Parts: sequence; structure tokens; C-alpha cells
Amino acid sequence: MLPPYSSQLNRRRWLELMGASLALAGISSCRWQKRELLPAAQQTTDHPPGEPQRFATTMELAGAAWGLLVTCVDGRPIKVEGNPKDPASLGATHVYAQAAVLGLYDPDRSKNVYWRHGLQELARSWDDFGQFAQVHFGELRKTGGEGFRVLSEASSSPTLAALRRRLLAAFPKAAWHEYEPIAWQQSAPRVHYGLDKADVVLCLDADLLGMHPMALRYARDFAQRRDPDRGSMCRLYAVESSPTITGIVADHRLPLRSGLVQQFARRLYAEAQRAASAGQNRSALWQSHEDPTERFLHAVLDDLRSHAGKCVIAVGPGHQSVSQYVAALNEQFGTFGQTFWYHRAEEAETTGQVRPIGELVSEMHSGKVGTLLILGGNPVYNAPVDLEFRKALENTPTSIHLSLYRDETSRLCTWHLPQSHFLESWGDTTGFDGIYRIIQPTIEPLWGGKSAIELLAMILGEADASGRELVKAEFQRRFQPTAGEASWRQAVHDGLIVVTQPHPKDAEFRRRPTPPPMQAEDGSFDRPGLEIVFRPDYRLFDGRFANNAWLQELPDPITKLTWGSAALISPATAAKLGVSTGTLVMLSYQGRQWGLPAMVLPGQADDSVAVALGYGRSSAGKVGGCEACDRPSVGANSYFLRTSRAPYFDDGLSLQPLAAVEPLATTQDHFPIDALGTKTQQKWAKDLVRQTTLANYLDSQSRQSGDATADHEPAASLWQEPQLGTPRWGMVIDLNKCTGCGACIIACQAENNIPVVGKEQVLRRREMHWLRIDRYFVGQPNNPLILVQPVPCMHCELAPCEQVCPVAATVHSREGLNDMVYNRCVGTRYCSNNCPFKVRRFNFFNYHKHFEDPDHEVLKMAHNPQVTVRSRGVMEKCTYCVQRIQAAKIEAKSRGQMMIPDGAVQTACQQVCPSGAIIFGDLSDPQSAVSAARRSRRAYVLLTELNLRPRTAYLGRVSNPNPILADQPST
Amino acid sequence: MTTLALMHDDNTANDPQRRAPLVIGPQTDETVTDSVCRVTEEVRTPRAWFVALVVSAALTAVFFGTIGYLITTGIGVLGNNRPVMWAFPIVNFVFWIGIGHAGTLISAILFLFRQQWRTAINRSAEAMTIFAVICALIFPGIHMGRIWVAYWMAPYPNQMALWPNFRSPLMWDVFAVNTYFLVSAMFWYLGMIPDLATLRDRATSRLRHSIYGLLALGWNGSARQWQVYERAYLLLAALATPLVVSVHSVVSTDFAVAQLPGWHTTIFPPYFVAGAIFSGFAMVVTLMVPARAYFGLKHLVTLRHLDNVNKIMLATSCIVAYSYAIELFIAWYSGHSHERFVHLNRAFGPYAWTYWLMVACNVLLPQLFWLKRCRTTPWIMFLIALAVNVGMWLERFVIIVVSLSRDYLPANWAMYYPTLIDVLMLLGSFGLFFTLFLLFCRYLPMVAIWEVKHVLPREEVNHGRTRA
Repeated sequence: MLPPYSSQLNRRRWLELMGASLALAGISSCRWQKRELLPAAQQTTDHPPGEPQRFATTMELAGAAWGLLVTCVDGRPIKVEGNPKDPASLGATHVYAQAAVLGLYDPDRSKNVYWRHGLQELARSWDDFGQFAQVHFGELRKTGGEGFRVLSEASSSPTLAALRRRLLAAFPKAAWHEYEPIAWQQSAPRVHYGLDKADVVLCLDADLLGMHPMALRYARDFAQRRDPDRGSMCRLYAVESSPTITGIVADHRLPLRSGLVQQFARRLYAEAQRAASAGQNRSALWQSHEDPTERFLHAVLDDLRSHAGKCVIAVGPGHQSVSQYVAALNEQFGTFGQTFWYHRAEEAETTGQVRPIGELVSEMHSGKVGTLLILGGNPVYNAPVDLEFRKALENTPTSIHLSLYRDETSRLCTWHLPQSHFLESWGDTTGFDGIYRIIQPTIEPLWGGKSAIELLAMILGEADASGRELVKAEFQRRFQPTAGEASWRQAVHDGLIVVTQPHPKDAEFRRRPTPPPMQAEDGSFDRPGLEIVFRPDYRLFDGRFANNAWLQELPDPITKLTWGSAALISPATAAKLGVSTGTLVMLSYQGRQWGLPAMVLPGQADDSVAVALGYGRSSAGKVGGCEACDRPSVGANSYFLRTSRAPYFDDGLSLQPLAAVEPLATTQDHFPIDALGTKTQQKWAKDLVRQTTLANYLDSQSRQSGDATADHEPAASLWQEPQLGTPRWGMVIDLNKCTGCGACIIACQAENNIPVVGKEQVLRRREMHWLRIDRYFVGQPNNPLILVQPVPCMHCELAPCEQVCPVAATVHSREGLNDMVYNRCVGTRYCSNNCPFKVRRFNFFNYHKHFEDPDHEVLKMAHNPQVTVRSRGVMEKCTYCVQRIQAAKIEAKSRGQMMIPDGAVQTACQQVCPSGAIIFGDLSDPQSAVSAARRSRRAYVLLTELNLRPRTAYLGRVSNPNPILADQPST
Repeated sequence: MTTLALMHDDNTANDPQRRAPLVIGPQTDETVTDSVCRVTEEVRTPRAWFVALVVSAALTAVFFGTIGYLITTGIGVLGNNRPVMWAFPIVNFVFWIGIGHAGTLISAILFLFRQQWRTAINRSAEAMTIFAVICALIFPGIHMGRIWVAYWMAPYPNQMALWPNFRSPLMWDVFAVNTYFLVSAMFWYLGMIPDLATLRDRATSRLRHSIYGLLALGWNGSARQWQVYERAYLLLAALATPLVVSVHSVVSTDFAVAQLPGWHTTIFPPYFVAGAIFSGFAMVVTLMVPARAYFGLKHLVTLRHLDNVNKIMLATSCIVAYSYAIELFIAWYSGHSHERFVHLNRAFGPYAWTYWLMVACNVLLPQLFWLKRCRTTPWIMFLIALAVNVGMWLERFVIIVVSLSRDYLPANWAMYYPTLIDVLMLLGSFGLFFTLFLLFCRYLPMVAIWEVKHVLPREEVNHGRTRA
């Protein structure tokens, strides 16, 4: 090589050098395609910055799955919607999916590999673990995996199943166990119900619309059958111990302790056999029977008989002993393939590869387990208490826990490995319904976590262990697509592949059930003593979401309780035991004792005490409670009482009231309410949530008018009325469809950057939810009518808030929106005082102060950049998702459309609603869905007499009661 | 100059043959001047006064400390919640504005009606008014979510091109209360000028001489000055008179214009004005009973004055009682279920104790003033006046907090509980009020010397005035 400025450098040589440089420089820009998901710190050329993008992915929860569309802005996921193509959700989501974004950015998530050495916990890297794994599992391989056990949370992932097969092949002496505290696919074959085809539905402790893998779908199907304008409606009966989402929308609800629900099922079966042989309806004979349970039973039976072929009888988890009777009843009254059918679970569940946790723990206790790999889950916290999992784990020399958080289990394991969130990892799942869905990452793992499949591939020493390749390989194996890469890309794009098949009438699963014969003593509905019922929580599920502040602050649909749990007790039982709401009670069951506050809940079955699972975490994080960072647990841990013998309910509870009182942070009825208040509440609630029966509704031709304000004389306003143009945005909420599940609350929170305020502030009634769901008990406290009503801003045309604001910070837009100008607000709070609906929320403090902590910076990424974050001292409230309206306007304008097409604007609450109860659109367009709804004879607005002309209207509830049960409370 | 000698200290008897004297004892211009000025000229700091000042100054410090905490931390340090967005601070605001009614009523309205007995108490009552309005004005300000932009309520041309919303009663409030404060302060100061000149003339130290000299604005007592002065005083009295009625009427519209059941009622303006006068006079009694005894002014602020004040309290108490009754009647008569409930809830709901305590303090106890013995016994009237102060504060609590706590949608109902900061702020505002009043007692003429001199019992007819 010549020195650069050598005099001997001739022209030819120079050209050689320059040519080579050019070529090399060009080559250096050629790269293999790198698969990295990077936040758009620098602007890219192919995508306008700030423009939202949507990606399909899937959320898996305890083996069930729902397809999602995740909205990303500049490379960060900010909002989750349902995937409309997914038959399990039809575009809706539940609260857990809505809150997933906050879970993703949770700063308390595990960020490091930890190795526990004696009492020391040392931070390590994935490389350290890799070296350990190579040596450790290399040696295990030599012994065939002697003493190697895997404990996984429930999953329906085909890739995981493939890896499991490979693992068990590589380690023949190893075993794979699975544990899920709330196992909703316990029973194979899985039963599916066709609620859209059922005229009569009987739910026996089965929360089909609330806590079921198909709840979103069922809610939509059910809602379809609740349109009284179609002339007919289905009829729903619920027999349950504790009010559920399904129970509160039922036409007839019978509170019955869970132990007696089985009794009810057995009796129903026996009476059905008897009636079948007698061949006639007998409920008229029972109409005057003094026992309401007997009357209910016979009324239901006759209804089922007269709607044979169009019925559904569902039974909840924990009632294994009567599932045969229920299956037999379905066979007798339902139509196979129409109102119920079975579905083949993934083969792994049936081949015995997956074993229960009990076997594993006894092996651990006896020291047979040398290496335990725990994939997700948190067994130290939620395994049945009688198994003494903690002690068993201490008896295991090497334990490895892959987990999103350094939770109770992680802290006791030799190795803790950070798991990647489902929004940052590749995966697949077949869910409850067997539909293949792909989990696609929307962001690179924030803290360098790995998914379960990646970890397994790493342990197996597989070469290309990236999640994408693993999932893709399984995809290729499963579908063997002819289109190759294109079909993979299509599947990733769609998020799922629906193999078109009729109802899987898998004959091999349709075994004619053979219920055991009835015993003579199974007669009366009477049982002494108290019963304990463990119920999955509508907010925290099994406790895995304990560090999610949105879910902690979401009011329970029934109790309206936030930030904590309570023992639910019926008013009569509470009076008997001398307990009132907030009293600390000591529950003694199976020799174990645990104290928690009581809550007197109308509608709870007598002598049945319900406790929610998922509270009392000691290593959840700064939100849910964490001993290491000195944060108290939220609520009381009812797993301390839950045994493997009776995971759902059992007799033999005793309850001792203690002298102490603990305040319960509910968003309604904070304190035991006086007689005057109770009376008034009941009276007014009937007016606020209007209702009638189907027969009356079809009968009465009196109210023909479609004007929602027609039940009051037109009133004149004192003020100059605003000149409002088009479009006239309006909302209609169908109370006949709303189940009160609360998904809209979280959707609104995620969309509109609504802060969380914490238990102290909720106790002071300062929660910030723009949309709330009011709940009223009407009627007798033992079995009241439970009414729910979502209340967003009414966007009154003659808004009382606007008249009293001294600085004009809340004003009307031409489209009829009651706009809130945060910048202009000085915080007099007069508007809230003058709002009869009290939908306005005030920033009493700087509720975003925690973002100043550098550790919490990451939480800012969850914010919707389209919505202002409000400062201390200003009012805020529902805007009808004005940012979505603006986006639709811009879209329409850029397409040259004069009108925004109906349905182009969906509010966040509308989009998420499982039952489709919320309709939003342009009232000036007579063709729009919202106009049609508003013309309904059921339409009404709240507090008509105040002449506010709200833009939010309601459709009244129409129930379909059984005439025989006329004296029973009906909805 | 001779004065009529009285046989005894009691001037409360109504002898039709003789007007009761408004001062007791053989009083001359000198003795009046002396007894009033002595209080400010005493070189040794009076011990009890000093102790009272230290206590109230400490409370004032607490007041401003809590205000600082409130402003730096947020409205959340108070007990306010949703639905009760207005609570203690607004209760305190209306309470103090109410207190501020007696002064101007005594000085302006009684002046125009030639009620000469006002002369002994008008100065201190006006001072009380000013100080109460100062306390009142602080509360709505600090109660705002963002006090640092409070100036947006001012209608001034600005680069934001924004204008306040004059449909909002809060705007009316801002103007009504500020106008009242300015006019009351002017009226009070104008009335003090001749007396400040007296203090200046009697000053023995250069400092006192220059300070009072500055405040006296060159008053020399010439006939020309007196003529102009009295005309100005009369005009200001005429100007202040409608304000007495207007300010609390406007404050009441904060509530009456809102559509909250319990607020939305047309009776509020007269009801609030009557209540304000009632509470103002109660505060006059509360302050004057100890002050006249401690500063040796019993011969100027006589039992007859207090008797008259108590009679006004009795009258306004009856008006207030009538208002309570009419509110209940209208609630029933309207047939409006929300309206009915809000009143039932006041009387029998969870806050019933505040309602019945209010009725006891404002309606029942003042009925004792039908007895002359109660009207003329200082300790009895002092206790009743204290009770009325409590009752009138509770009245505002019942109207504001209890109405808000339960309105149209039962799902929104919630109880309100004050925090420690709320309580400290209420106490602190009393601290500020008493601090200012104690300073006034010690450094300014507590009794209108020149006006009392007009009403001294004299033999001869003077300036065409009727003898008292």
C-alpha cells in the first residue's frame, strides 16, 4: 500500500483506490434486515410523526384469549381495542385488556435477572443466566432430567406446547405441571353456549356475561336478544350466591348460597325427569308455595320445558359435582349445535402431558425435585394454602421463576428472570374457542425480558431462539401454508386465523351424560352454618393485576369498592352476626383464620360470605403492596383460606366480628345510609333508571313520540339559547344492554389520560373517572333489583355549568359539545356545584406529580398524545372524545366528504362496550344509529324538568319476567 | 357648659317624660375626649390586651401558614370533595361578609334615620365591618384552584382576548364585595378624620404627632371644613346604604341562581340580608361587651346602646326564623320532590344536628331578648351573641354543605368532613380579625369622639339639633 500522498501515485492507481473505496462504502450500507422495534426517537421518512398506527395482537389470560388491535403512536402502544374480527370479542374488550397498557409501562416491572445466594439477592444479566443454564441443564440432560419439573401457568399456546414436547423429549424424566388459581377451562370438553339463539337462559352460579372466557361474545349475543322493539326478548334466570354482572341483568335472580345452587341443579334435574314422565307443566301448583326457592325452581322448569330446544343451562366453576346433571338438562332442553355445543381442547391438555400442581408439591416436599422452572404465575401467593407451596419451594435446591414482577414467588426462587409483557413479545394462542391467534409485539421489551417460549428455547439450547422464529415455525407446521411468507404476514396482520368450520359438533366429546342417581335426602333448601365463597375479582382477576392502578381504582361493578376487598355479607346475616359495613371480621375456616373488613351487600345470599381473590399482595409493587419497598398491601389475601379441597366455596365458615372498623373506599354510598336517604334513593332510582316489562312495553301505545324529552312540557329558557349547528353530536346509552362491567371506565381512562388518585382520595370522593357507573338497589334488601347506569357528561344544550363559570372556561361548541377549556379554568368549582349530574372532576392536587420521579418517567409513555394532561386546580370532564371527533373530521375533510359518515366517530367507551350499549353519532342525521335510538319509545333523558336538553339520552330497561314469578323482584 | 347629672348608672329606663341620656355621668367634651384618647395614649402596654394580641397574632400566623400550604399543595388539603365542591372556605366567606353588615348599617342607615344612639358604637362597628370583609375577601381567593390566575376574573382588555362571563353570579360577587369593602373603608376613614386630628393635637411625642398628623389630612376644625365634611359624610352614608342591602343580596345569588335544590330559591336575598344584620349585631355585642369594660368606656357605650342592639338582634332573629319557616313551607308547597327532600334531609338527614343547633342558636336563644333583664345584662347578652355567631356560621354550613351533599342523583351523595386545615383556617381567620380589631382598639379612636360630643346632654339648643 502506498502512502496517500506519494508522488508515485498515478492516475490509474488513484482511480483504483477511489473505485474500491466507493464500492466498500456502498457495501457498508447493505445490511441484513434487522428486526428491531424502536421508539421513534428520530423521525422516519415513511410515516408521518404522531399518526396513530394499529397492530393486531392477542391477550392471553389463564389460557383464554382475545384478539386486540393496539394503537401505537410513534412506536409506543397507547391504547388497546378489541379486534373486530375475533369472534370471542367482536371488537370489544374487558377491563384487563384495557388496562394492559398501564401494565406494560409499569415501572415496578422486573428489570433485571436476580440470583439469590443465601439471603443475598444479586443482580445478574441474561448472559450470566445463559451460562448457568448451559451448565445446569447440560448436566440435567445427562440424567434425563431427573428431578426436573416445570410449573407453568395455563396457556393455550401451540408454540409452547411444541416446546413442551421437545422439552419432555430432551428430558424424559422431567414433568410438566400447570396451575391456574382461576381455572375456567377446567372441564374438557369445553361447553359453548349460543346465547343469541336461546330464549331461556338459566345461569347457576355461572357468570356468563362477566367472568367467562367468552363473556365478551356472550354479552353481545345476549344484548341482541334484549331489544324489545323486535317484539321478543330472551329471559335470563340467575341463581347465585353473590350478585354478579350476569345476575344484575337477569330477569329473575335468586340469591342462594353456592352449596345450595348444586342442590338446585340436582332438584331441577329430578323435577325435570318427573315432569317429563308426567308430561305437563306443574308450576301452577307451586305458585302459592311459600318457599320462594321452590316456586322459582318450578317456574324455571316450566319455562325451560316450554322453550325446549331454545334454552341454555349454564353452571359455574366449582360445581363439578353437578356438571353432569346440568349437561343432562342441556341435552334434555337445549339444542345441540344451536344453543350449546362442545369444543375440542388442544391435544396437550388431553394427553396427560400436563399434570396438576398437587403432585408436584408432594414431590417437592419429599425432596424429589431438584430443579423447578416456574413459567409465569405466582404459586407462592396463590397456590392452595394446604399445599404449603412456600415450604415446598424452600425444599427445592434450584428454582427459576420467569415473571413480569419480582413477586412473592420470585423472591424465594434461586433465579428470577424478567418476563416480557405480551405487548412486547411474540406468541400464539388458541384461546378458549380454539381459534389460532398471534401475539405480536408492539414495542421492543422495555426491560429486556424474555417470553416463556424464548426461555424454553434457550434452555433447550435451540439455535434461533427468537420468539418470532419460534412462533413462525409453529405456524408453518400447523398450517403448512402454500402462500409461504405472504400467508404468515397476513396472519400477523389480521392477528388470527378463523378456520371456517361449523359448530364443532365433535361427536367424540358428546357423551350422553349419565348423572348419578338422586339421593333421597336431597330435598330441602336449608343448610345450617355459614358458607365461604371465593370469587375471582372483576378488577384484579386472580391478583396478577394488583399493581395496576387503573384496575385498583376501578369500582367493582356491584360493590363499587376500590382499593381493597371485603367479605360480602347479606343484610340479614349481617344483622344476625352484628356486623356492619367496615367492621373488621375474623373468618375462621378449616383451622385457619383471616381478618378483613365486612361489607353488607343487598342481594348477597343469606349465610354466604363471599371474598374476592387477588388482594393482600406482599410483593406486587408500589401500587399493590410491597414489603421490600414498605408499601402496605391493598386489601386482604383470601388465598390464606383457600384450599385445594374447596377452591370455590365450602361450608364450615365461622365469622367473628372484631371491635375495629376499617374504612372501605367505595365510590358510592360511602357510609351506612340513613332511613330517609335509603327511602329517597329507592324512589328516585326508579325515575333515573326507567324500566318496564316487555308485556307493558308492547302493550302501551300511549307514548308514540320519539322525542326523549316528551314527558315534560316544553320549557322556556331564561338564557339566550345557543345557536347550534351540525353535526349535532349525541349519545344514547341502552340500559337494557348495559351490564355495568366497567370496561368503558378504563377505556375512558386510557383514552383521556385520566389520573389515578389513590385510596385516600377515593375515600374523600375525589376519583377522577370521567365516566362512572351508578348503581342502585331497589326493593327488598334480601333480593333487590340492582340497577346500573353509566353516566358520562350529558353535554346539555342549555348547560348549567356554562352559565356560572366566571371566566367562561366551559363553553359550547357549535356542534353542541360542552367544551372544557383547561387553560382558562381558574378552579372556582362553581360548575360542579351547578351540575345536577355531578359529572365534573376536579384536580384537587397535582395528580401527575409522581411523573417527576425519574423512575416513573416511563409511565408517561402510556399517555395519549392527543389529549392534554390536566394541571392541578382545573376542572375536567367527559369530552365525548373530542380528539376522535376531530380526527374523523380531518379524515373526512381530506377525503372531500361533506359529512362525517355515521360510525366514523366512535367514543372510547362505545368502542369497548361488550354489549354495544353505547351509541354515538350525529343527531342531525336522521339516518344515523344514534338518531334512530333517540327516536325509540324507550328513550328518555335524566331530569327532564330542569330543561337542560341533554345530548346524552338513555333507553329504558325492559325486563321479560315470568308471569308466575310476578311477585318476585324482576328487572 | 353644664351637663345634666344622672341619679344612677342606668339609662335603660323608658321614662316618657324625659329622654334617656346617651352617656352616663357628668360628661363634658373634655371627659369624652379624655376617656377615648386615653386608651391610645397609655404608655404602658395593657397586659390583657397584649396577651390577647399575642394569641390572635399567633392564630393569624397559622392562618397565613395554612394559606401558604394550601396554595403550594392544592385544594385537596381541604375536606372538599365531589359533590361538596364548596365547603368551609365559602361558609367562612359568607359568614364574615355577614358579620361585615352591622357596621355600615349602624353608621349609614342609622345615621340617615337620625338614630343618635349609634354614635357610641358606630366607629368600632365599622372597624369590625372592614376587618370582617378583609377576612371574607381572603377566602374566595384562596379557594380557587389556581389563585395565580385570579386576575382573569378582572374585565380588562388583554392579549388573550378573553372577557369574563358576566352571567356568572361569582362575577357579581367580585364586584359587590369589593365595592362594599371600598365604600365601607372610605366611610370609616372619613368618619375618623376629626378624631385623628384630636389625637394629633394631643400627641406628646414627635412620632405620634407625625403619624396622626399624616392620617388627619390637615384637619383644622374650621367651620368651613366642618360644613364640607358633614355634607361629604352624609353623601357617603347615602352611598353606603344601598350597599348594605345589595352586597349580601348579591352574595345570596351565588346560591339562588344555581339550580341546586336548597340553593335555588327566591327568598335568599332578603333572608341573607336579615341574617347578615343579625350576625353582624351579634358580633358587635361580642366585641363591645368586653371592650367597653376593659377600656373603661361604660359611660359612653352604655347599656342603653346594647339594649338597642339586642332589640335589633331580636327583630332580625324573628325575620330569620320566618325565613326558615317559609323555606320549609315553600319546599312542601312546591310539590317538588328534590326540594322537599333537601329540607327533610337538613332536618332529619345525617347532618340534622347542624340544623337543630342552628335553630336553637338563631331562633330559640335570641327569644330571651324579649326579657329586658337579658337585654341589659352584659354576660347574658354576650353568651347569646356568641351562640348567634355559632348559629349563623352553621346556617351557612347547612345551606352550602348540606344542600350540596345530597342533590339530584343519589349515586353522587357523599358526606363532607373538614380536615385539620379547614378548622385551622377558620380559627386563623378569627385570629386575623381579632388581631386587626385589637390593634384598632389600641391605636385608633374606638368611639367617634366628635359625634358623641354632639349627643351630650346640653341645656341649650345648638345648631338646631334636638337634644338626645
